[in-house]
Amino acid sequence: MSDFKALSEAVNKGDTKTALVEAQKALDAGSSAEEILNKGLITAMNEVGDKFSKGLLFVPQMLRSAKTMQECTKLLQPFFQEGDVLSKGKVLIGTVKGDLHDIGKNLVSMMLEGAGFTITDMGVDVSPEKFVEKTREVKPDIIALSALLSTTMPAMAQTIEALQKAGLRDKAKVMIGGAPVTEKYAQQINADSYASDAGSAVNKAKALLGIS
Amino acid sequence: MKPTEVPTFRPRLKVLNREQILAIHNAALEILEKTGVKMEHPGALGTLVSAGCKVSDQGWVRIPAKLVEDALSSAPRQIDLYDQKGNKTMPLVNGNYFYGTGSDATFTVDVETGERRRSTLKDAANFAKLVDGLENMDFAMSMSNPADAPIEDIYVHVFAEMVKNTNKPIVFIADSGRDIAKIYQIACQVVGGEEALQKKPFILNYSEAISPLRFPENVMDRLIFCAEKRIPICLPSGSNAGGGAPVTLAGAMALGIAENLVGLVVHQLVGKGSPFLFGPNVSTLDMKSTIVSYGCPEWSLTQAALADMRDELYGLPIWAYAGASDAKVMDAQAGAEAMFSIVTAMLSRANLIHDVGFLEYGSTSSLEMVTMANELIAMSRFFTDGITVNEETLALEAIERIATGAPGSIFLMDDHTFEHFMQAQFLPKLLDRFRYDSWEESGSSDLYKHCNIEAKRILSEHQVEPKSTEVLKGIEQILQPH
Ligand code: B12
Repeated sequence: MSDFKALSEAVNKGDTKTALVEAQKALDAGSSAEEILNKGLITAMNEVGDKFSKGLLFVPQMLRSAKTMQECTKLLQPFFQEGDVLSKGKVLIGTVKGDLHDIGKNLVSMMLEGAGFTITDMGVDVSPEKFVEKTREVKPDIIALSALLSTTMPAMAQTIEALQKAGLRDKAKVMIGGAPVTEKYAQQINADSYASDAGSAVNKAKALLGIS
Repeated sequence: MKPTEVPTFRPRLKVLNREQILAIHNAALEILEKTGVKMEHPGALGTLVSAGCKVSDQGWVRIPAKLVEDALSSAPRQIDLYDQKGNKTMPLVNGNYFYGTGSDATFTVDVETGERRRSTLKDAANFAKLVDGLENMDFAMSMSNPADAPIEDIYVHVFAEMVKNTNKPIVFIADSGRDIAKIYQIACQVVGGEEALQKKPFILNYSEAISPLRFPENVMDRLIFCAEKRIPICLPSGSNAGGGAPVTLAGAMALGIAENLVGLVVHQLVGKGSPFLFGPNVSTLDMKSTIVSYGCPEWSLTQAALADMRDELYGLPIWAYAGASDAKVMDAQAGAEAMFSIVTAMLSRANLIHDVGFLEYGSTSSLEMVTMANELIAMSRFFTDGITVNEETLALEAIERIATGAPGSIFLMDDHTFEHFMQAQFLPKLLDRFRYDSWEESGSSDLYKHCNIEAKRILSEHQVEPKSTEVLKGIEQILQPH
């Protein structure tokens, strides 16, 4: 039984080349793809996340690790068995209507993806109707809304209302964020969760779905 | 002895050489010619195409250098902003510099309680009034994105508050072609009509393109509105290094400048000779917190670089920032960051310098911070004015008088000191220079406390020359929802 030490180290360093070699070695040595993913890659990413929250890593280093993990996941893809838990969950994300800020949203997407979620990114200036439509289509576990302007925050409430009207509100959790957004506002508009930055967005998303 | 009249050298910061300037400029041109831009405004797109731009299959508009050169040569080298009484108070040209506040802070530090709370319309009024009462604040911005204004007309309401509480020039934000028209109406009310406003504009619009290389429809609506009405405008993009733009400053500048040039090209095609204030916002995305910094040396450095490019190449007055901080309260960090950006913006001769008084990377406003900055600007101005050298200031006679005078003579008691000390020295109003005991006796208060008291004093004592009842009525009418 392998402890995936070298693989984990490569993911920690964001060394994609070595990580791919190590993942292949693990496959060759008989480890299952699911095991490599869960015990190797995701465990390593959790370490990375921890180091980041302690201020020991910078964002680009963390993103590089996430990218390394994604490359390895691609390598493992053909070897997954039916029934393997591959995705932590599906997230539909977008910046709400009237708002064109997307750097924060993109960062949140990348981090969630790095943590094992499957992302559908709808871009910016997304109307409540479009969110409803896409929710029907992709059936996400979490709908993540971003707003950077106080003037577009109400569009978050409108999106939640539209989901309600369409009978979709209880089919997914709604998580919101962006500089002017607060915990209090999240409660006020009936969102399920709020996070102030991309790191905590991952933790909140996991908490929403009851996973670690 | 003959009087010596020596020209005064005013210290001036340079950060780029000519080779660097040309390389960054050429990179900007290359971005426009090779990558191109996404123009989401059909009218502006049509204008660019008929001027000779090619559009790729994916919709990227490639802009030839020739168009950029034309725009650079037709835009005015000088933009004069007037106060609301018709005095030319801000000639934006060459090395003139002017400071003012920033726009949409979500929160403010309450001047009474010290608490951080959501901004309101009353805050927009207070900041405008404070600006009106501070001698080194040249123009007002809203400093508030108020919770208590109707959302669709939020920028119209803050504009009305500013007009009611200051007579200084105003830099304003709008959302679309709709609300900018209302703001324009108010501005016309204030000065007595469109023609008067065009002749002596007291407003400048702050709009933003989107890095990398995106030009949304509502932004271009405003740009075209201003070009046609000849309202001065600036169009910096959010080309912050590491977020909207490359992490390396040269690339971030090239991208930001390219984006500005696109705005300028469309602007000049629509309204040849209309005033356009040049310059991107090149700050950094912090690599730990991922905030866009309002206190980093990078932003000061890139705008100093832009000032060099203005002098060497562009000739257009430029947009800049200073006097802000990432600190959450007005502490030592806030003072250090504010001073760093204020003095470097001045030494590099940025022209219109906004965001004075922001805390928390632009999320929070502080009346005390603006009040402190007013003093820091005075301090920097003293330094930047250099050393006047002439017979009077060389003071050889005074030296002779004191040196050969009665024992115990000191310069302090000489007439020369009495006559010159006001100009010869920087006389702080808020920075504490008292001896320890007096400082302790007066409550051991720090700069924050001094600024708090001074801000409150100005708010209660300063009289803003009021607008006529007719103008006020006109504004109320425009504010009525339709
Ligand atoms: C860059 C920027 C822009 C760029 C955006 C480019 C882009 N591609 O996104 C440009 C130049 C286009 C822009 C335009 C405008 N902007 Co702007 N902008 C900023 C700035 C400087 C930084 C924002 C940013 O990207 N931060 C970096 C990212 C990584 O952080 P973040 O967005 O906060 O995201 C983090 C968290 O909030 C959270 N998060 C974000 N989304 C989500 C979603 C979920 C689900 C979760 C859980 C978490 C989460 O996690 C993220 C990562 O840690 C801020 C000021 C500031 N310092 O914050 C102003 C700011 C947001 N802008 C502001 C304004 C007013 C405007 C304009 C109206 C200005 C104008 N003159 O037109 C326009 C509006 C355009 C529009 N309709 O959207 C105001 C908003 C005030 C308010 N309360 O409404 C601010 C605060 C500046 C100010 N003080 O005036 N802007």
